[in-house]
Parts: sequence; structure tokens; C-alpha cells
Amino acid sequence: MVSGTALNTSGAVSPVSGVASAPSRRFRVGVSTTPDRLRLLLLVVVLLSLAWGGLAAFTVNQYSSAASGVVAVREPLSLDAQQIYRHLSDADNTAATAFLAGGLEPPAARQRYLADIQAAGTEIENATAQGGGTLGGAARDLATLSEDLPIYAGEIETARADNRQGFPLGAAYLREASGLMRSTLLPAADGMYTTENASLNATSAQATGLPLVIITLAVGLGIVVVLFLASRWLGRRTHRVLNLGLLLAGAAAVIALAWLAVAYAGARSDLLAAQSRGSAPVEALARADITALQAHADESLTLIDNGSDNGTYQATYLRQQHALGPGPGTLLTLAETAAGGSQAAGGATAAAGDAQAWYAAHARLRALDDNANHAAAVRSALGSGRSDAGTAFAKLSADFATGIAGGQADFAASASSGADAFTGLEPGVIAAALVMAAGCAWGLSRRLAEYR
Amino acid sequence: MTTGARGVSGKGKWSAAVRAAAILTGTVLLAGAAGCTAASPVSTPAAQARNQGGRAAGTSTAHHAASRTTTQAHDTAACNPVASSLRPAPGAPQVTPGSFMAKILARGYLIAGVSQSTYNFGYFNPLTGKTEGFDIDMVHAVAQAIFGNPDKVEFRGITDDQREPDVSNGSVDIVAETMTILCSRLKKVDFSSVYFEANTRVLVLKNSTATGLASLGGQKVCATAGSDSAGIISSYPVTPRLVLVTAPQFTDCLVLLQQGQVAAVSTDDAILAGLHAQDPFTKVVGPLLAPQPYGLAIAKQHPDFVRFVNAVLAQYEADGGWAASYARWVGTPAPTPPAARYAD
Repeated sequence: MVSGTALNTSGAVSPVSGVASAPSRRFRVGVSTTPDRLRLLLLVVVLLSLAWGGLAAFTVNQYSSAASGVVAVREPLSLDAQQIYRHLSDADNTAATAFLAGGLEPPAARQRYLADIQAAGTEIENATAQGGGTLGGAARDLATLSEDLPIYAGEIETARADNRQGFPLGAAYLREASGLMRSTLLPAADGMYTTENASLNATSAQATGLPLVIITLAVGLGIVVVLFLASRWLGRRTHRVLNLGLLLAGAAAVIALAWLAVAYAGARSDLLAAQSRGSAPVEALARADITALQAHADESLTLIDNGSDNGTYQATYLRQQHALGPGPGTLLTLAETAAGGSQAAGGATAAAGDAQAWYAAHARLRALDDNANHAAAVRSALGSGRSDAGTAFAKLSADFATGIAGGQADFAASASSGADAFTGLEPGVIAAALVMAAGCAWGLSRRLAEYR
Repeated sequence: MTTGARGVSGKGKWSAAVRAAAILTGTVLLAGAAGCTAASPVSTPAAQARNQGGRAAGTSTAHHAASRTTTQAHDTAACNPVASSLRPAPGAPQVTPGSFMAKILARGYLIAGVSQSTYNFGYFNPLTGKTEGFDIDMVHAVAQAIFGNPDKVEFRGITDDQREPDVSNGSVDIVAETMTILCSRLKKVDFSSVYFEANTRVLVLKNSTATGLASLGGQKVCATAGSDSAGIISSYPVTPRLVLVTAPQFTDCLVLLQQGQVAAVSTDDAILAGLHAQDPFTKVVGPLLAPQPYGLAIAKQHPDFVRFVNAVLAQYEADGGWAASYARWVGTPAPTPPAARYAD
């Protein structure tokens, strides 16, 4: 039994190995004959073309949605947050300045205050509606803003009502309101701006990042090489110089790659320009603007408290003046550097000069107040004469507004042209991939037909 | 309010609350050890202070237990506040050569430390753009005697806790800011003779059932930092103890009262009357807690100026100026001015 089996086994060696080797031989035959190789090549290039089409469409979608996210969502939200901060800061400053005038505030100051509060309210609503609350920290800050803004406005109105009756209680409510503004509202607006700005920069970086586009281009080039090699091999095999289908596929691939490369490069340079000539100067100018507004509120509050603050407002003013500059590393100089060559440059340069004029006017105002001339100091703070502190600050404020508007115009132009660069590219690469697949299939199947 | 020294930055406010909580916790532990059942209600105001009290401008909540003794009874053995000043030279006030008055005359104006927010005593009137009040009239009388012009004055608004340091270090020539002559203060500054007699009482909302500090145990009561009233509140013998909330100015205390962050404001009736005038939905209640004789504070280096100011006050009281000012700012009929008593 055992030996029989052994015999059987040894006798069966050849037929068994013959059965086993039949498919592998057929497989070897399958890729060694030209039609089989053609069939395999057809399958590979069609799949490669379709796969690349998918990859390219994904890539384009990523970049273009990031680019349009920068333009349509992140930049407006960041701008909103910055505007909320600016309007709140301006309201604080205007309310204090209006108070200086006594029982009857100047109508212009009152209107400016009301416009600030209204604008801040609208911007808070907008930011909430646009999904500004989707980022964790920003959601908390937005909630704080919408809760405390009415409380602040209520305190200002109470201050105004008391002031109209000649009560010093009005000044206490103004202090209370300003304290709420500076300890709660402004930090929340600042936090929101920081979050939104970081998100803008992150989205912008996503729209300008290299890795994905490099991979897509490299894979695309690889396919072109494969098509070129395939057509050379086919030419040798079939003694035909050109395969129209492969040529068509190659041309489609080259066009798609060139389009992708050009669109990406254009969008990247536009978005980087939007950042360097737009959002960077705007951010730097906004920081300086807000600091100047707070210093101006300190100037007013010093006069309102007439010494009762033990000099703390003036100390804060000087700290802010120091932070503003101009000088190395100061806000005004940073803004001037950031704005260089952009539409914001004019405003930034003017601000640096006008800030110094304001400091000088402020020093004259302080000298008046410190030498028993409070009334003249108040007149200077509120005044519109040539050497008045009021005039100097209004000029500085206007410079910031001009600069910020210029920077925003630069940003809007560059960023939307960056986002537009991707227009039509996604259907374009999909169409190219289909043409490539169809071209390969058609060109190779015609050769294949000649073997039937 | 708002800036560093007043402690309104968010951090300052929290640390104040945390400090208050720590102090309160300490109190609770000690009281617990002593078997005192009054301890537990004290912790509630601490939580409230964390939640709401801290938002008020520059306020801080602290519970000084019994660490401070009542100022007046304590020091009477050593001195008599109402008879502590220097006798003026007979006749009309004279600017003698080489005196401090001569220096002020040469400078061209008198520098007076005053309140900008104490209605009817010293406040910035938004309608006139001027600092006005009963205290302010005293300063005008002094300026009139030096310059022959009552308006040669620079009024510097100072907070209550700055009154002693500012007059001692010469930032101001004189302080006229509802300042009570206290033996503790007489160690640092000199005072004129008494020009007004106030007394400590309590201000509450009109619908409050409180009848004085005695019925406010465990609740928050506001006074300015550096005022004598703060000491009276924190040492007032009631169980549980009153919780002292300090603010930079008494108008800030009224803001807190209106916002429901404190139950009462306690200080001199003269100041409370001014707060009541600004909010008729408040009332002044309770017994007279401690007499508060007001004097004008002058640096110890200038006894000549003290005598001069006392001469001015004597003349102002004699010529009817004092009574006219009283009638304008405090009420009619004006009483007899406080009798001038001197230490020498």
C-alpha cells in the first residue's frame, strides 16, 4: 500500500507537474504575445488615466475651495472681528470724549458713538450668521460680545442721563462702562480676531501649500512618460509611426498638467500677494489704530477724572504712545514696513508722521492741565483748531482709515483673482482624464483589432 | 475703574476675588474652630463677590474681621480731634513774608486736592464745567485771602486714599475733601479747625427693610478705600459680620447699590445726602454711628499755613460767607458754625 502509493506518486510526477504548469505557461504566453501585451497595456493606461483624473479633481477641489474660502468666508470673518474691535474701541473713545464736553455732548460725537454701537451689533450678528461661532474660542467670544454689548450701552445711557442732570454719578457710570469695555468686551473681540485671523492664515496656507499639487503633477508626468514609452513600443511592434489615440491622450495629459501648473502658480502668487500686500498691512494698521484709539480714550478719561485716577490713565497713555512709536519694533513702524509698496503705504506713512504731531499736542494739553488750566486743556482735546489735540488725533485716525481701506482693496483684488484662477479647472481635469482614457482605449484597441 | 491702579483689569479683579475668598475661607475655618455658627452665611457673599461684585469698577471685597479697632474711641485718650488745630494770629489773615502763603502767592495759584464726585461738597458739575460744592467754597475763601481772588485755584481730583499722601508729599497745598479729623491722621498731617460736623449713617434702597448697619449682618456694604467709613463697616459689631466692598469713589458705591451688587452704602450723612439727591429711590437710615468733624488737611511742615487757614475760616464764619455756602449746598436754615477750638 505504502510502496504502491510511492510508486503511484513517482509515476504520477510528470502528469501532475504537467497539469500544474499548464496555466503558468499560458500566462507566460499571455504577456509574451503582442495582443496580450496590448490588452494589458490598454487596461493599465486606461486605469491610470482615470485614477489621475480622480486625483487631479480632488487636488483642484482642495485648492479652489480653500482659495474661495479665504475670499468668501475666512477673510470676511476676520475683517468682521477686526471691525468689531475697532467699533467697540471707537465707541469707548467717543463716549469718553463726548463726556468731556459736559452736559450737552457734541451731536457729531453722539452720532459717531451710536453708529459704532450699531455697526458692532450688526457685525456680531453677521459673524454669528456666517458661522464665526464654529471655532471653539471664537464661539465663546461671540457669546460674550452679544451678552455684554447691551449692558455696556445701557451703562453709557445711564451715564448720559445722570450727566444731563448735572450729577457726578454720570462720571461713575462712564467709568463703570469703560471698565466693562476694557476688561471684558475688548478682550473678547481681540480673542475672536486672533482666532479668525489664525484661521484665515491657515486656510490661505492650505490654498498655497505645495505637497498635494506636486504629487498630482508628478503622477501626471509619469503617465505622460508611460504613454510616450507605450507609443514607442507600439511603433516598433507595428511599424506605424503614430498612434492617434495615444497621441490624443498624451496631448490631453500635457494640456491638463500645464493648466493645473499655471492655475496653481497664479493662485499661489495672488494669494501670497493678498496676504503680504493686503491682510498683513491691514492687520498691522488695525493694531496701531486700536492702540491709538485707546490712548485717545485715556487722554479724555484723564481730563474727566481730573486727577482722581492718580495718574493711571496718563500712565496708560504713555505706555500706548511707546507701543505705537514710530521707532524700531513699534506698531507704526511695523505697519509702515508691512504696507511698503501696497495701497496701504500712503496711510501708514502719514500715520507715523501725524502720530508725532498728536503726541506733541497731547504734551501741550497735559502742560495746560497740570498748570491750573483744565478748561483750556479740555478745549484742546475737543477742539478743531490747528494746534489742538483733537485735530491732531482726527488726522491720525483718518490716516489709519485710508491705509486700512487701501490694504483691503489690495487684498480683495488679489485674493479674488487667486480664487478665480481655479475656475473651470476641475471639470477640465476630469474631461482631460476621460479623453486620455478614451484615447488610449481607442488607439490600442484598433491595434488589437489587427490581430484578430 | 478701569486702569491698573484702580485694579480693573480682569486679572486684578480675579485675584481680588480669590484673595477675598481666601480671607473668607480663613474666617470660616477660625470661626468653625471656635464653634461659631455664624460662619456659614459668610461664604455666600464670597461666591457672589466672585460672580458679580468683581465686575464693578475697581471694587474689591474684603472682610477685615475684627482686625481694625474703631478709630475714634480708640484714640481719644491721646488727643482731641476737635481741638487739635493751631490758634491763628489775631485779626484778618496775613500773608507774611517768607511764609508758605508767600510761596503760594508767588506761584500764582493755590493747589487744592478735592473730590470730583461728592455731590454738593466737591464735584465736577457737568453743566458748568466747574468744580463746585461746600468744600470747594472753603478753598475759594482761602484763595481770596491769599490772592484777593477766589478763583486762583487749581483743583486736583484725588481719591480718598490719596488725601494723606498727597498733602504730605506736597503734590497739593491743602485738601478739602470731606476729610474727618482723626487722631490716626493727625500723626501724618495737620488739620484746620472744624468747618463741618457730619455723622456716619447708612444709605439703602427705598424698599429695603434695613434700619441701620445692625440689620445688615452678612451683607455687602460699600465705602471708599481709605475712608474712615471703611474701618467702621469692617469693625461694626454684628453677627455675621458686614462684608466691606470698597470702590474708588462714593458715586461708584451708588452704582453698585443701583445694580444690586451691594445692600447698602455707609459713610457720612453729608455724602449720603448727595447720593440720595442723585437717586431719590434711596433713603438714609439708622442711628448716628460716629461723629465726623471735617477739617482742611495741611502738611505738617506748614504750621504757618494752618494758622492762616484758621484765620480765614474764623473770618469766613464771622462775615456770613460760611452760612451762605451752607445754605446753598447743604440746606437751610444754616446752623451756627462749629465753634473753633484750638490745641494751643
